[in-house]
Amino acid sequence: MPNSIHSTARKAWQTLGAIKTGVILLILVVVISAAGTVILQRPATDPDEMQRAYSPQVLRLLDGVGLTDVFHAWWFVLLLSLVSLSIIAASVQRFPNAWRFFSRPYKSPDDSFRSALANRALIPIKDEETALSVAERVFEKAGFRPERIVRENSFSLFGERNRFSEMAVYIVHASLLLIFLGGIVDALYGWRAFVTLTRGQQSSQVEMQNGSQHGLPFAIRCEGAGQENYSDGTPKRWWSDLTVLENGQALVRKQIVVNDPLVYRGVRFYQASYGQTGKIDKLVLTATSRDGKAVKDIAISPGETLPLDPDTTVRLAEFIPDYAVRDGQVYARSNSLENPAAHLVVETKSASGKPSQAVNVWLPPIPGLEQNTSSPYTFEGKDVQMAYFTGLEVSHEPGQWSVWAGVLLMGLGLAVVFYFVHVRVWAVPARDARGRLMLWIGGTANKNKDVFDQRFRKLVEQIESELKVLSKTGAEAPVTALAGK
Amino acid sequence: MGRVARAEQQPAATGNTLVVMVGLGVTFLLFMAFLNVVKSGNLLNESNLLYAALIFYSGAGTLYLGFGITGTPSYVRFASLATWAGLLANTGAIAHRWYEAGHPPFASIYEMLLSFVWTLAVLTLIAEKKFGVKVIGTVTMPVAIVGVVLMQLLRTEVHPLVPALQSTWLHVHVTLAMLAYAACALSFALAMMFLIKDNMNTETFLAATSLFGMATYAGVLTRFERWGGLSLVAWNPETKSEMFLAKGVRLFVVIPDLGWLMLLVFAAVAAPLFLYLGWRKTGDAAFINVANRAVFVSILLQVMALVFFLLRARDGRYGSLDADGLFSTSLAASPFILSGLVGGVFVSLMYLLLLWRRQDLERMLPSAEELDRITYKTIAIAFPLLTLMIAAGAYWANRTWGSYWSWDPKETWAAITWLVYAGYLHMRVTRGWRGRRAAYFAILGFAVVMFTFFGVTYLLPGLHAYA
Repeated sequence: MPNSIHSTARKAWQTLGAIKTGVILLILVVVISAAGTVILQRPATDPDEMQRAYSPQVLRLLDGVGLTDVFHAWWFVLLLSLVSLSIIAASVQRFPNAWRFFSRPYKSPDDSFRSALANRALIPIKDEETALSVAERVFEKAGFRPERIVRENSFSLFGERNRFSEMAVYIVHASLLLIFLGGIVDALYGWRAFVTLTRGQQSSQVEMQNGSQHGLPFAIRCEGAGQENYSDGTPKRWWSDLTVLENGQALVRKQIVVNDPLVYRGVRFYQASYGQTGKIDKLVLTATSRDGKAVKDIAISPGETLPLDPDTTVRLAEFIPDYAVRDGQVYARSNSLENPAAHLVVETKSASGKPSQAVNVWLPPIPGLEQNTSSPYTFEGKDVQMAYFTGLEVSHEPGQWSVWAGVLLMGLGLAVVFYFVHVRVWAVPARDARGRLMLWIGGTANKNKDVFDQRFRKLVEQIESELKVLSKTGAEAPVTALAGK
Repeated sequence: MGRVARAEQQPAATGNTLVVMVGLGVTFLLFMAFLNVVKSGNLLNESNLLYAALIFYSGAGTLYLGFGITGTPSYVRFASLATWAGLLANTGAIAHRWYEAGHPPFASIYEMLLSFVWTLAVLTLIAEKKFGVKVIGTVTMPVAIVGVVLMQLLRTEVHPLVPALQSTWLHVHVTLAMLAYAACALSFALAMMFLIKDNMNTETFLAATSLFGMATYAGVLTRFERWGGLSLVAWNPETKSEMFLAKGVRLFVVIPDLGWLMLLVFAAVAAPLFLYLGWRKTGDAAFINVANRAVFVSILLQVMALVFFLLRARDGRYGSLDADGLFSTSLAASPFILSGLVGGVFVSLMYLLLLWRRQDLERMLPSAEELDRITYKTIAIAFPLLTLMIAAGAYWANRTWGSYWSWDPKETWAAITWLVYAGYLHMRVTRGWRGRRAAYFAILGFAVVMFTFFGVTYLLPGLHAYA
């Protein structure tokens, strides 16, 4: 029984590592992710828009299958995990062979290998020692670092270059797994949230994408935020000046802009949006007393009470950025600073302990509501400083380092895979069919074989000509037999 | 007159007529353009340079095609010369744009096309000089011409960069993308050349051409409206932008009767495929003869559809099904349909070329093995570039949006492109896929690249809104 389980597992493992499985999985990934780009996706698209785009039945079906949020559906994650497993299985199954090839290079080729190799040549020689040392010199010059291989009945030469390129493909696969690992870690432990702050406001709570609140072990405070425009009015730059506070102590302060986040303890704060809250920060007014003697500039916030003189105070009861009057009531039409109105309450203490007198002042005067003429002071609006909010995207991605490491590794791996050629050359003295002493030279490259063909020919020519120079007094002229291409 | 008479007497001299004609045409167009320039007093501005590039690329394309038809070697020399001239003008246009905008030309689809066409021309010349694939321009120049024509439509003013685009990583990302895409385009052209050299049946090409045309016109016909109209996105000529009914909902205008014409052309491009199937079933060569004639008819109809489309979409105001009143549209509002129609004509012409002048084409090509090897080498360059492009994009997104991967359509399609080429490499290494199957793969890869580049931008919504 355990035997059959064992063999089933083994079979499953083999299937997982087969190239066919890999290809089928990849085709599935391609088809499904393509579908995910065509079908509107859930968190990114408004629910209203989804309902406009699909009929209720279709939408229910799509939602049920998970096609409206393909990239976070459990079966898509499962598919990606299967791809990872397939890569692992394929690599593990092929690795031992490759490792054997890598760790025990084939140094002294036997007869059958020598007669089958594509790039080979035979040069007649007089003695082995001279020929081998010539070949050694030529290999050395070509950068192959030749070594002499001594066996009981023969000795020969072996040289190679860039042997590590045989292993590069495993590095690429490993880097892909690193990237996946980072993605999985982020899917499990990472989060994304949003927080809006106005100037001076601080928060240690951020709103997650699903609407829940997430507490941070520290607080973030906005010291200021702003927008700069190009001369044509399009935004050029948004910035926020942020401080990180822990136990009330300011630890880090940084001005962030769109492409430059603040990072603290693995939590990143990105500039995401910027806009008016519709509330004011400060209203700047000039207050002039009835007799014209006392003139005072004040900057007042909503709800704030400021003294004008020892007996008189003013409070900003309400500020409406874009007002309209209907049925004797004041309404706010929008949040943008279009048509502002301010409601001030001026209170005067009466000298003899009688109840103080409060006067409603409206800027501009709104008939039916204003009592401007009975106010001891007249007011003139100078400036409205609106409160702006800065929207911060907050994210925590603990897996991203694995992703970046994977990316770097993949870049390196691919460079080696494509541009470093493992080249091997051999030189073996041997007797041909007629018993003449020959030097067999062979070579092979694991890619770019056409370039290596030419290179190999040059190598052989060089050995040949150097041998010629040495044996110019020799009786017989060397005859070359170039075999193969 | 004398020249023409002599050409008639001496058949050998006909070889130069096309060179002379193209030369005269190019000179004429340049002269007309020059007159305009003299009037405006501004010689080296971007649109003039781009216009010159278009003229030269068209000249080169015509000569490459002409070579295909006549087999005269001197055409290729002149074509290559015209490509050089086009490249020069293109470089000038890029430099001008760069200087004017103060940032490299990567911020909009117009600017990216500018860089893409430039890279494609450079690679064409490299393939010609270094690898000896002399007629590669027959495939790449039409792509470049479609690119420049699209640029004329999509021309945008220099906009200042919005905050998200102000990053060095943007430039790294887009440079890598353009290099990778141009390398993919080259591998596609090489794969086509391989198929020609590899004695692939003209009949198979016939079927593929017909399928391509059917896919194009089926895409166009998704806009078919009642009463035979064709709906196009409405265009506001003042703001130079598409019109919207609501956020994300485009306003369509209906051009009457254009839909019927498209339907007719669809039938015409589909006919050869059915005749091909008939030939496969019966083995009767008469089917293929009729099919070849049908291709000829379909080309005429396609050109007619293109002309009608150009005439009607450029001017006039049309009604809409969703809103009252008349609205105008523009070619710039339907770049997809336009490039589809132009592409269809080119592909059909390419088939005729293959049918008539196969021997001459083959003579100018390196051996099939060599072509296969160069295709592989181009992809070996494109693939790492694609990888780095995606990585740089992810890094940039991480700095800007706080997430290195958000499955936005452009990202997803970039990943799909990457997977397709990864598939090619794996099949080649582990299964020893060489030759024809590898060539099909390279063609598929380029189709996906083109969809990622254009299709995603115009069809699918997402973060890459500006490109």
